[in-house]
Amino acid sequence: MTDDKDVLRDVWFGRIPTCFTLYQDEITEREAEPYYLLLPRISYLTLVTDKVKKHFQKVMRQEEVSEIWFEYEGTPLKWHYPIGLLFDLHASNTALPWSITVHFKNFPEKDLLHCHSKDVIEAHFMACIKEADALKHKSQVINEMQKKDHKQLWMGLQNDKFEQFWAINRKLMEYPPEDSGFRYIPFRIYQATTERPFIQKLFRPIASGGQLHTLGDLLKDVCPSAIAPE
Amino acid sequence: EDFFLEEKRFKQYCEEFIRHSQQIGDGWEWRTSKDLHDGYLSKTHFQVRNRNIPPDLKEKNNDNIEQILFAHVEESLDDSQIAEVCATEVIRYEYHVLYSSSYQVPVLYFRACFLDGRPLTLDEIWKSVHGCYQARLLEGPWDTITQQEHPLLGQPFFILHPCRTNEFMSSILAGSRKRNRHTNYIILWLSTVGPVVGLNLPLSYA
Repeated sequence: MTDDKDVLRDVWFGRIPTCFTLYQDEITEREAEPYYLLLPRISYLTLVTDKVKKHFQKVMRQEEVSEIWFEYEGTPLKWHYPIGLLFDLHASNTALPWSITVHFKNFPEKDLLHCHSKDVIEAHFMACIKEADALKHKSQVINEMQKKDHKQLWMGLQNDKFEQFWAINRKLMEYPPEDSGFRYIPFRIYQATTERPFIQKLFRPIASGGQLHTLGDLLKDVCPSAIAPE
Repeated sequence: EDFFLEEKRFKQYCEEFIRHSQQIGDGWEWRTSKDLHDGYLSKTHFQVRNRNIPPDLKEKNNDNIEQILFAHVEESLDDSQIAEVCATEVIRYEYHVLYSSSYQVPVLYFRACFLDGRPLTLDEIWKSVHGCYQARLLEGPWDTITQQEHPLLGQPFFILHPCRTNEFMSSILAGSRKRNRHTNYIILWLSTVGPVVGLNLPLSYA
C-alpha cells in the first residue's frame, strides 16, 4: 500500500469547488450572499459546512432555523454519502462550481437521515469502517483495535489529517502474506437511476483459477449493464 | 461455534415463516426488490395509542383499524375530534427483515408514521417501546436503535445494529439444537428482537 502513497494522497486531498446559495423561500432579514467553499471529496456535507450554516444563520431569525439540509436541482442530498460520490452521481457533467441550495425548513423526512450532531456522522462513518472490515478480515482487525485507534481514524477524517488517518487505516488495508488478498472486497456501486441505492455483493479478490480479479471482472459480475455496448 | 446464517438458508427459513404466517393470518409477506435480485419479509400493522380511544379498539392489530375507527367515532364525536383521533392517534408500523451478506445475519428495519404521513422520530418510537424492553435494549447485545438508509428502497428506516446478532443467536441456537428441535433461525431471532420494537410473534410460530 505504501507504493501507492501518491494515489492515496491524491484521493484524500481531492476537492470540489462549491457555491452554496440559500433557498429563495427562506425568510431572511437581509439579502443572503452565496458562500463559496472547497469541499473535500472524502468527507461528509454536515461535517464540513459549519461555516456555511453560520454564514446564512447571520441573516435569518432564530425561529426560522431548524435542521440544515442541502439540495441540488431539486434532489435532497444525502449527507451520509461522501461528498465526492454526491458530486459524481448528480453533477459530474455540469460546469464548476457545484451549485448547492441550502435549506433550514421542511426537512424531507422521507428522503434524508437526520443529522442532529457530529456524533451521528461519527457513528455512521465507524459503522461503514466496521462493515468493510467484516468483509476484509471477519472483523478481526477492527475489533482488535482499541477505542483510541477508532477515535484517531475519525479525528483524522474530521480534521483532514492524512498521516493521522493512515497510521490506523493502513492496518485495515493489510492482509497476511500467505493470503492473496482480503476475504471479500468491500465495494458499493451507486447509480442515480435505480430505486436500489447501490449494488453490494460478496466478491472475492481471487478467481477460482487463482488469478486476481480485475475491476472489469467485478463489473461484469454484478453490473453488466455498465459495460454493455450502447 | 459460529452460527452464521447463509443466504440460501435465510430464504428457506423465511419461506417456512411466511407459510405459518399465512396459516394464522399474521400478515407477513415476501417482497422482492424492483430488479428482482433480493427479497425480504415485510409486515405492516396499525396501532392505536391510548388517549381518547375506547378500550375495545386498543387491541386491534389488523388492516381494518381505519374503517373500524371511522365507523365508531362517527356516532359520538364531532369533526375536530374525529380529525384529532384519526390523524394523530393511529400509528402505522412497517417492519422489514433483510439479509446482510456482510455480517451473514438477518437485520430488522422498521419505521412508523401517523396516518397523515408524518413519521415518528426516534424519541417517539423509543417512548412507545414498553418499559421493560427499554431496559433490555440498553443492556442488550446491540448498539441501540439508529437511523439508516434502507439498502433496497433508499429511504430512512430505523434498525437494531446487526454486528452482534451472531453473539446472542449462538447461545440461543446451541440451546435449541441440544434439545434436537427443528430450529427456524428467523423465528428464534425475531421473537428475541421483535418485542423490543413493538413487534410480537404469536406463540404458534414455535
